[in-house]
Amino acid sequence: MTERARRLWRLAPVLLVIALAVAWQVPDVGWLDLASPDAEVAERMTAALDALGEEPRVLVGFDADIGTYAETRPTVRAMIADLLARDARLAFVSLTAEGRALASAELARLDRGEANPARLLDLGFIPGAEAGLVDLTRRIRVSYEGDHAFAREVEATGIGTFDAVLVIGGNDLGPRSWVEQVAPRIGEIPFIAVTPTVLLPEVQPYLGAGSLQAVLGTPRDGAAYRETLALGNLERLTDPIEPRPLPVLLGMLVAVAVLGQALGTRVLGELRAARSREPG
Amino acid sequence: MSGFFGTSVADIAATWVAAIVTLIVFGSLLGERRAFGWTQHLLAGLATGFLALIALTEVIGPRLVAPIAADPSGRPELWVGLALVASAAAAPWLPRQISVIPVSVAIGALAAFALGGAVIGTLLPQIDAAIVRPGGSAAATIGGALAVVVTGLVLVGFLHGIPRGRVLTAAAGAGRWLLIGGIGGWLGFLILSRLILLVDRVGFLLGDWLGLVP
Repeated sequence: MTERARRLWRLAPVLLVIALAVAWQVPDVGWLDLASPDAEVAERMTAALDALGEEPRVLVGFDADIGTYAETRPTVRAMIADLLARDARLAFVSLTAEGRALASAELARLDRGEANPARLLDLGFIPGAEAGLVDLTRRIRVSYEGDHAFAREVEATGIGTFDAVLVIGGNDLGPRSWVEQVAPRIGEIPFIAVTPTVLLPEVQPYLGAGSLQAVLGTPRDGAAYRETLALGNLERLTDPIEPRPLPVLLGMLVAVAVLGQALGTRVLGELRAARSREPG
Repeated sequence: MSGFFGTSVADIAATWVAAIVTLIVFGSLLGERRAFGWTQHLLAGLATGFLALIALTEVIGPRLVAPIAADPSGRPELWVGLALVASAAAAPWLPRQISVIPVSVAIGALAAFALGGAVIGTLLPQIDAAIVRPGGSAAATIGGALAVVVTGLVLVGFLHGIPRGRVLTAAAGAGRWLLIGGIGGWLGFLILSRLILLVDRVGFLLGDWLGLVP
């Protein structure tokens, strides 16, 4: 590699960031749509939410992680807004520190967005991961101020209050732990989830086995679900702008090119080595 | 745009701090390591501080100190827990037979919850779902059979230290390749997550910080 090529190679990550910034500024092009054309997954989620009935009580296990939350955030916010539009009562609980930090930030954002505080309940952080989940099925500690009917209901009835569990999954704790620890202990209530793509191989079998009712596990399925929503006034609680597909496509192409380059170099090296071993 | 920050002075200051730190992290791509090191220390410090805050305000205070203070004799299990924590903290100065107790309890409880949950919540439902039933679709039958074959081959790939014939060796090799393929697919998913995080950070700088919304 020449000195010039080496310098260019070192600048490549910066050039990528600049290219992503330019692509982020380019207006949306019609042929590039983030939403999956196959709306089956989104429809399954909508059907699961429709089946919850009037004013459902939903326990939100918020354990997203900082590394993947950028991917799920638009869908999580849209789903919270959707549930509030369905007159749901939401109780947030976290079993990881990162999840707690993100849940606090989202609750603060809902507060800024003037979401009805009577419909939101912060159950805080529960230590112990799996043991904490088991503890949650036995007793829920609630701290609240003033007359909070939903909080009193949760305090009195515990996990029996809830009509559904929504798991916002992350790398550390996701739907698997909820399905393993909570589902066998509380009987038949639906579990739905929003997870990053990286959890898809782990979550897919639970969907197939019926342990999870519905999962939005890829940005495309999340975008397809968001397209179906009509939130009216609660649109203010969703992400201000939709994720930009062009920079993601550009990044993926660069990733594939880097992979191809590494693979090509390896194959060429092997071929050269094999040729040099040939007699004569 | 992340939408995490509002329009108050504190939120604007937070946006600026986050933008500057993001730029410093991007600066490491150009070889600027010293400032990048500071940001790593800042992240570690913030994470530690946040963990300590959670431990104090959401665990130790309301779940340990408050119940004991309210009714010292009514919650004997908390005293036992406190004794275990104290013996773990004093492990360097205690006899090994005592200091291993809290660690053993923690590992045993963790393993019991994880193993019990895995069997009841995952293994049994998955086996049940994989069983081919009369009247099921051909696709479900093929899918179930493939799942059994792949699972079997990967499990054989983990067999070490036992005598193998030619067939078992070939099956183990196939199992390892399937495993590598699975890890490759998982890494592909991970790249997508991380790429979206990078695009989100770029969007944060352009949108939240500079206000250049397209």
